[in-house]
Amino acid sequence: MSTAVPEFDPQEIALHPEDYFRRQLVWQLPVRITHWVNAACLIVLFLTGLYISHPLLAPSGEAVRHFVMGRVRQIHFVAAMIFTVSFLARIYWFWMGNAYSRSGFPYVWRPEWWKDLFRQGTDYLRLERGHAHLGHNSLGGVAYTLFVIFLGWCQIFTGMAMYSESNPGGFLNRVFGWVLPLLGGSFTTRMWHHAFAWGFVVFAILHVYIILYDSTQYGNGLITSIISGYKFYQKGDFKED
Amino acid sequence: MGSLLRKATTYDVLREHGIDRRRFVKFCTMMAAAMGLEATVVPQIVEALETKPRLPVIWLHGLECTCCSESFIRSSHPIAQDVILNMISLDYDDTLMAAAGFQAEENRKRIMKDYAGQYVLAVEGNAPTADGGVYCTVGGETFLSILQETAENAKAVIAWGSCASNGCVQAAKPNPTGAKPVHKLISHKAIVNVPGCPPIAEVMTGVLTYILTFGALPELDRYGRPKMFYGQRIHDKCYRRSFFDAGQFVESWDDDGAKKGWCLYKMGCRGPTTYNSCPTFKWNNGVSYPIGSGHGCIGCSEENFWDNGPFYERLTSIPVPGIESTPNEIGTVAAGAAMVGVGLHFISSMARRATQKKEEAPDKEGR
Ligand code: HEM
Ligand code: HEM
Ligand code: SF4
Ligand code: SF4
Repeated sequence: MSTAVPEFDPQEIALHPEDYFRRQLVWQLPVRITHWVNAACLIVLFLTGLYISHPLLAPSGEAVRHFVMGRVRQIHFVAAMIFTVSFLARIYWFWMGNAYSRSGFPYVWRPEWWKDLFRQGTDYLRLERGHAHLGHNSLGGVAYTLFVIFLGWCQIFTGMAMYSESNPGGFLNRVFGWVLPLLGGSFTTRMWHHAFAWGFVVFAILHVYIILYDSTQYGNGLITSIISGYKFYQKGDFKED
Repeated sequence: MGSLLRKATTYDVLREHGIDRRRFVKFCTMMAAAMGLEATVVPQIVEALETKPRLPVIWLHGLECTCCSESFIRSSHPIAQDVILNMISLDYDDTLMAAAGFQAEENRKRIMKDYAGQYVLAVEGNAPTADGGVYCTVGGETFLSILQETAENAKAVIAWGSCASNGCVQAAKPNPTGAKPVHKLISHKAIVNVPGCPPIAEVMTGVLTYILTFGALPELDRYGRPKMFYGQRIHDKCYRRSFFDAGQFVESWDDDGAKKGWCLYKMGCRGPTTYNSCPTFKWNNGVSYPIGSGHGCIGCSEENFWDNGPFYERLTSIPVPGIESTPNEIGTVAAGAAMVGVGLHFISSMARRATQKKEEAPDKEGR
């Protein structure tokens, strides 16, 4: 086993490239679209959220000429609505998409899932190339489930509950209002919404690093795959190969 | 104070106290407005106060500071003071009644018997539950048992103030006496929570007028508070809101923004998370309210407002035992830890690659 991409004889590859490298459509269009919509929304949400919690650079002059906080909140809410739709669309695609759209999900009752989790964890730590995947591995599955699905729901529920406060008794308030008493009131809901927001920062750091690492380690074109949809694999990566 | 046995109406008692009809109708109109009801309801209120016997009320005091009573008897409107004190037949109130000792307790027992199912139990303060409730006793009985006994035959229970509604300071962490708000001690009774430390006098009167007029509790929200008074946040009715939307905030007490009356959000104002009527009724004869005087709202009518401190900061600490940090502190530490982990992994993978390049031994067959 080697740590880097295995090297093959260039002449042989030139003769029969398809024996050595293949590509496979892994991320279908909805996965790619929701990925970038979610990523863009999360960045906007985090930055506007920080401004909302700690507004800076007060404009001078009469209040009537300015709408800084108002505008930032408006952007936060628009991004939040787009995020919610895209998030739900991705969840829908979890069932409707190809097998890769479900890959890695913590099916904790399946021993194979645990085996893959252990194997992937140790491969990353031992800096080995190890076992290749086309979809998400179990470790990725855990990360997406905790940092994206779980935190996503937390933000949507706490966020929508706070958003609904400006129209008590309205539709959103009836749907999400129960979150406020559950978390001990409007104030603590805000506190949790703010705390959860940091989870996405932790996720983004780990996510982008592991994508870069994985892509170099396996030579699988992971980085471009989330734009094109195709991942690459090579001789010896899969048993059926 | 009028006796129960006469079954006098509010109007009777008011006339006795020299309040003319004109002032009485004015009061009814004011109450309708305060409750957010249409003008057509005014005659209904007038009729109720004229014809219905006064509401028999037992007013209990538990662990508390009496600020609710103080607020109530200082009811702001010029004519309200007399009206309010005479509107209900307050035959038992530890603080206000003439009777004392055994006679007083006798009184309470008598009302409970004679007016079973008709009297309203108004509770100011809450009951400590630790060690059998010994931390608050009245006449040798624990307040906990008095509360439960008196609630038994009450028509409805009014929880006055934050103490009775959601615990207030005596239930703040670590709550050594195990103080609990009324709704956690009494079940199977209609309870209306009227939080605030203290609640606004007009709100207290409004709740009583509503019960007397319509013979039912007003519509309540998820926290059991009357929607008509607690339906909206301070923030949504605040006159400094335009500065909030503009992004103009007071940064420190006495800075330029403070002088210009900018928004107090960054000074920890709890207006965005507090439901109360302060911007509408204001305090002390409608003179002002905290935000009007340049101080942020501290959220006195919200659950756990003492634990959600410090009052002058926007975010409180995460309520996880052993951690005394704000979300931002925890967030930056977590993000920093992620960066360090990623960095270590990166450095070791580069080192690994460098040593392997030297060995010059790539595996020709893949694996
Ligand atoms: C440099 C930019 C990025 C690249 C190249 C990238 C690439 C990828 C790739 C290739 C996957 C599939 C993952 C796998 O097989 O392990 C993925 C999944 C995901 N990424 Fe990114 N990503 C980037 C930035 C972000 C950012 C900033 C966020 C949000 C904070 C984000 C959120 C997600 C989510 C939620 C998934 C799971 C998606 C799914 O399966 O639908 N990504 N990303
Ligand atoms: C998905 C639906 C979301 C909705 C409906 C939502 C809504 C809200 C609302 C109503 C506020 C309070 C604004 C105010 O105080 O006036 C808020 C604040 C905030 N949001 Fe969101 N949000 C959502 C998602 C997110 C996400 C995904 C993040 C993180 C990346 C985020 C980060 C923040 C932050 C940091 C604050 C400031 C909290 C504070 O007041 O201290 N939000 N959001
Ligand atoms: S002073 Fe307080 S209640 Fe008023 S707008 Fe500012 S944050 Fe909201
Ligand atoms: S402004 Fe806030 S803290 Fe002040 S009395 Fe009203 S609810 Fe209580």
